[in-house]
Parts: sequence; C-alpha cells; structure tokens
Amino acid sequence: MVEKSKTTAVHSSETVRKIRFFSRNIHDKANKAKAEGRPVAYCMGGCAYHEILEAMGVTSVYTEHYGGVCAAYRVSEPYLIRAESEGYANNLCGYCRNTIGFDIVRQELGHMPEDAPDGGIPAPDMLLSCSAGCDHRYKWYQATGRYWDIPTFSFDVMQIPPFDTDIKAIKPYVMKYQVEQFQRLIDFLEKLLGKKMDWDRLAYLVKRGNESLWTWYSAYLLRKHHPSPMPSEDHFSAIVPAVFDLASRETLAFYRELYGELQFKVDHNKGVLDQEKYRLLWAGGLPPWHTMAIINYFETFGAVFVMEASDYGPWPFFDVPKGMTNPLEILALRTWCQRVEYWEDAKKGCGHSRVQRILNRIEEYDIDGCMMHLTRSCRYQSLGQIHFNNLIQKYVNIPLMFMESDIVDVRDYNEADTKRRVDAFMETVDSFKRKGGRQATARR
Amino acid sequence: MSGWRIPGSRVIERQTIGNAKGANVDVYVAGVDIGSTMTKVVVHSGTILAAVIGPTGPEHRRTAYKVILEALEKAKISLEDLTYVVATGYGRLNVPFADKQMTEITCHARGVSSIFPNVRTAIDIGGQDSKGIKIDKGKVINFVMNDKCAAGTGRFLEVIAEALGVRVEEMGQLSLKAKSVPKISNTCTVFAEQEVISWLAMETKVEDILAGIHDAIATRVHGMAQRVKIEKEVVVTGGCAKNVGLVKALEGKIGYSVLVPPEPLLTGAIGAALIGEDIARQAIDKGTPVRRAERRLSEVTFFDEAASRGNRS
Repeated sequence: MVEKSKTTAVHSSETVRKIRFFSRNIHDKANKAKAEGRPVAYCMGGCAYHEILEAMGVTSVYTEHYGGVCAAYRVSEPYLIRAESEGYANNLCGYCRNTIGFDIVRQELGHMPEDAPDGGIPAPDMLLSCSAGCDHRYKWYQATGRYWDIPTFSFDVMQIPPFDTDIKAIKPYVMKYQVEQFQRLIDFLEKLLGKKMDWDRLAYLVKRGNESLWTWYSAYLLRKHHPSPMPSEDHFSAIVPAVFDLASRETLAFYRELYGELQFKVDHNKGVLDQEKYRLLWAGGLPPWHTMAIINYFETFGAVFVMEASDYGPWPFFDVPKGMTNPLEILALRTWCQRVEYWEDAKKGCGHSRVQRILNRIEEYDIDGCMMHLTRSCRYQSLGQIHFNNLIQKYVNIPLMFMESDIVDVRDYNEADTKRRVDAFMETVDSFKRKGGRQATARR
Repeated sequence: MSGWRIPGSRVIERQTIGNAKGANVDVYVAGVDIGSTMTKVVVHSGTILAAVIGPTGPEHRRTAYKVILEALEKAKISLEDLTYVVATGYGRLNVPFADKQMTEITCHARGVSSIFPNVRTAIDIGGQDSKGIKIDKGKVINFVMNDKCAAGTGRFLEVIAEALGVRVEEMGQLSLKAKSVPKISNTCTVFAEQEVISWLAMETKVEDILAGIHDAIATRVHGMAQRVKIEKEVVVTGGCAKNVGLVKALEGKIGYSVLVPPEPLLTGAIGAALIGEDIARQAIDKGTPVRRAERRLSEVTFFDEAASRGNRS
C-alpha cells in the first residue's frame, strides 16, 4: 500500500523547476498538431531522428516520455493493468505497457481519459521505432500497430562497437550505413507525406541540436565542483528538452539558462546542500519516475547524487570536419561519437564501455558511493548490473547499492524496504569515508 | 558496582554524562535488535551480562520496553546504569530509550566479527528477510538484501512447517534423514506450499520434502549472497541458522563449511552493544562527554519517524 505523501522530487535548480511546463508544452504542441490535421508520430528516445522529423513537419510524441509523466502523476496503474489484461506480461517494459494500455483506454472511451496528464497524447498517424537501446522496441510498435491502421517504420541506429574490432577501420562503413538508414526514414516520410525534405532547414536544426547538446554537456562539467551545484533528481528532469524536443529553440534556451545557473552557483560556492558530506553516483538504471522523492531521501544523510552514468546523459563534444555539409552525415557522426565515447578508455581499462564510464566518473566527480536502480521491466538498463558491480570492485573499492523497483510500475516499489537499504548503504558510505574513502585496487 | 550513575528521574533529558578521562571507568552498554519476528537485547560490559530474546509484537516500543527491563534485571543493573544504548533491526526507530539507531547490516557485521574475526561473508537469514554482508576487518564493504518476497526467509519455513504439521524447531534434524530431495519451487512461498501439499498427496516422505524445502531456500539465499561474492570465512546468522538442514544445504551450494555462532539470533544485538561501547569509549578516552539522546521508559503508541531520525548523527 503506497502512502499518500509527496512522491515527486524537490528540485534545487530554478531552471529545472520549469520543466513541468516544458513537458506540458511538448504534449500541447502534439495535441494542437493533431487538432489541426498535421502529422503526428509516436517516437522513441535515442533514435537520433528528432531533427529529421521536425524538418519534415512531423510532430513527435515520445511514448517513453509520456510513460514517465504518467508514472510521476501516479496514474499509470490502470493503463498497466489494461495492457496486462490484453495478455502483455507484467515484466514487459513499463513504458510499453503504459502506452499500450493508454491507447486502448483512449480508443475505448472515444476521447482522452479525463485524468490523462498534460491533456493526454494524441492518436498517432505513424509509428517510428529504431534499434537503439533495447531489443523489445521493435516489437512494441509492431504490437501497437495492431491497434491502429497506420504505417509502422523501423530502422537501424548504431550500437557500441564490439571490442574485437578496429574502430578506425569500421568507422567509414558504420557512418555510411547510418546515413543510408536515415535516408530510408526520409524516403518513407517523403512517400507517406507527399512532400520533399527541406535540407536547408534540416541542416539548421541539426546545427541548433548540436549546440543544445554541447551546452548541456558544458553545464554538466560544472557538476564536478565541490559542493555540486545540481543533483540527479534535477538531471532526470533536465533530460526532457534534449531527449524529447532537441530541435527547438526553447531547448537551446533551457540549456543556456541551466548553464548560467550552474556557473553562478559554482562561482558562489552554492551547492545542493549547505553541507555536502557524501558525493554519490547514479551508476545505472533509469529512475523510478513514480517516486522521484526517494532521491531526496539520500540528501537527509548529507548525500548528493552529483552525477549519473546512465544512458540518459549529455552527448560529448565532437568536431564537425570541414567540408562535412550533409546533415545526415553530421547526425551519424554525432551518434558515432556518443557510442564510442568510452570505447578507447575501456579498451585500455576494464574492457567494458558502460563500466568504464562509471569508473571514469567515480574519479572525475570524486564519488564516495554508487547506486544502481535495478528495474525488473527494463532489461536493457538492468541486465548485467551485478556483473558491472563485480567489475567495478576489481578497480576500485567503493560502496554500491542496488535499489529495486520499476521505471513506471509503482506496484514493484516498496518504500520501507527501499529506505532500509538506503539507511544501510549510507552507513557503509560513512564508514568508508571515515577510513579515507574509496580506494583503487591493485588492478587499477 | 562501580561506574556512572545517571542522576535524575526515569525520563532523562537530552544531555551528556561524564566528563572525566579514564579508561578504567566501567561502561555498561545495551544493544537492542528489533527484528521482524524476534526482539533481542544484549547488555554488555566487557562481556555479555545478559541476553534476552522475545517475540516482536506489532507494537515494537512496548515489546522493546519489556525485553530491556528483563535484560536489565538479569544483568542486575538499571537503565540509568547504561552508558549507551544502540537500537538496530527494522524496528529500531521505535525504541524510545536508545541513544542511537544503526542499521542491522552494520550491527551484524560488527557482531559477527567479534565472534569470528576472520569472517569475510555473513549470511543472515531472518524471519522475513535475508541478507548477504561482505566484511573486511569488521567493517561492511558491501551488502545485499532479498527482494520483496518471503521465499528465502524464516517465514517460508513457518508456512511449510504448518503445511506439513511439524514444528519449526524439528525441521532441520528431520530433513537430515532424507533419502531423496524433490525439486521445489524457490520463487514463491504460496506456490511452494501448494507444491508441498502435492508432494504429500504423492506420498513423498516428510523428511524428503523438508530437504527439498531447505534446498529451495539455500538456492535462493546463495544466489542473492553471490551478488557480493561469497568468500571464506562464511558465517550464517539469524533464526534460520539454527536449522541444521538448511545450513547443510547452504554449505552444499557454497562448496565448503560455514560457521554458525553459538546463538545466531544475537549477533545484531551484540554488534549494536559493541558499537555503543566504541562510541562511549571514544568519548571517555578523549575526555569528552558521551552524547546521549533523551531516553523514555514509557510505552508509546504512535510513531514519529522525524523525531526518531533526529538521533541519527
């Protein structure tokens, strides 16, 4: 039984507090587009296609985003149950079940459910999935497509290259393949919409998207400061513009404002807490959108999550080579640089990109303890976490705890049990800190 | 009896006691471990003066009050004689006479290490949860707890004992007589109970079923504890450590012998008492007052988490 208390996080950043309106605006734009007869697509994060859709005049609705919003409002349960009554397993992705259930309820009602957050999301005109991230996303939109007589399109987006490859040698082929995949998407959209791509506009949007991502990246480097100016509960809101509305001018304005705020805090030594006793790393897993307030609970111990090592994070800088003018090539290069960010370090280090990212951030952000969120319904983020922990401990002795719940499904969350674990974890972090903090092991 | 006497009434205001240096001062400490099923109290002064184990009721504060009174009576001291009281276990916040609350993870590690100094892994199988603790020189370096399920805990054994009509205390010895070990689900207590009834209907011997049950719990607990990498020496604690059948099954999974304390229920309370002693001794050695919380020997029927958490640091 979940008690009736505040479940959303208290944000410390003024800029991030505006994200609720930002998110609402994203869904308002989608509902307006639908009402005006403009094309609306269901989309997935990480597909690197936001600017392409925008340039083609397609309004994107990120169903994972809406799953998180429903969870944050604690209204997803009836949608999850509805999806499960259709035969979808209760350990299937929470975002997926939420969307399928929401779609069915909206279809059955013949109008938007009254309690739908942000005024709901409109019925899509197309379903656009990709191979990035987790395996089940192909099947998700295939399943969703059965409820709608609308086109479904899926394409490949590159993954982290395997370690037995020569990345310099494969890079031209991967880039070429990625550009072909983006072109396939454009061909599909041109045929469906009966209009041609506006290449100049796409080039402009990609340039602005890069600037937004780099501003975001620069802002986060400021989080290395002691005390840290921004915690993870703010990060998980600050991702919204870049991941779900990258091409807009509002997104660039948001990250510029965030950068300014964090720079001010660093200049004036203002941290999340007046007394930052412990610095923690969100080392893996997507957050429990239904109970983001649990991150604030760590702060009652004087602990701040100063950084994350999850896949929802700022993308690194990259140089656009002189003469590279094709926006699809720039999009491919951006994706490549994100995928190989820790590849070289990992090859010299622990041999695993995602673990290397954790190890690097432990050092760079001066971390005292790590936490991973183990979510039953998010295989991509959760599988391997035990292995990650074992690998981390080979290189650095540092306390690491697992929090277990779900990204969307609050039925998988136990407040008392979670707090018990946090209590024990914080005692362990304190004990380490008193003995001098984390220690590199002989293998490092 | 030498040592401090705390002046004043039974309700001691938040204050400090003592200000004299001296290692020869007797320090009386208590560890109170309020588990989900049992409440354990240890009164300690260089050695264990008294240890009391009683069932945990729904009203933890009332239970703790009664158990500490019994322990104090056995130790022949009063609450005022206690220099420091540390509460642990999942009901630790409900102990109004504790000076500090510590989690059971830290206290178990301390308690187990005091009995087995070379311990590297402690596996605690309690009434409603189980945990694996990785220890280095008496300190926790990692831990893991079971998920939201009674399978792999003492509650699992209680349910099965009821289904089989045997006493929980008999289960271990009985299971050692097993000739074969049926495979029983380790994923759900409710399903496992149904399985047990099915095995009974097929005229499977009770001792065989019990061995199957122990194997199921051992598999689950071993899988959980492996998350922190089980290393020698391994110590098993908690009420379930009294079940020789379960301990044997666990040894089978781990691949070598494990150690069990003389009274496996008490390690958390012992650890809490020793942590209390460390705190008191540190203050005395520095010549600084021992900082204590307000103590009340009253039965409180409501639970003010915020007020209790104020004692944490």
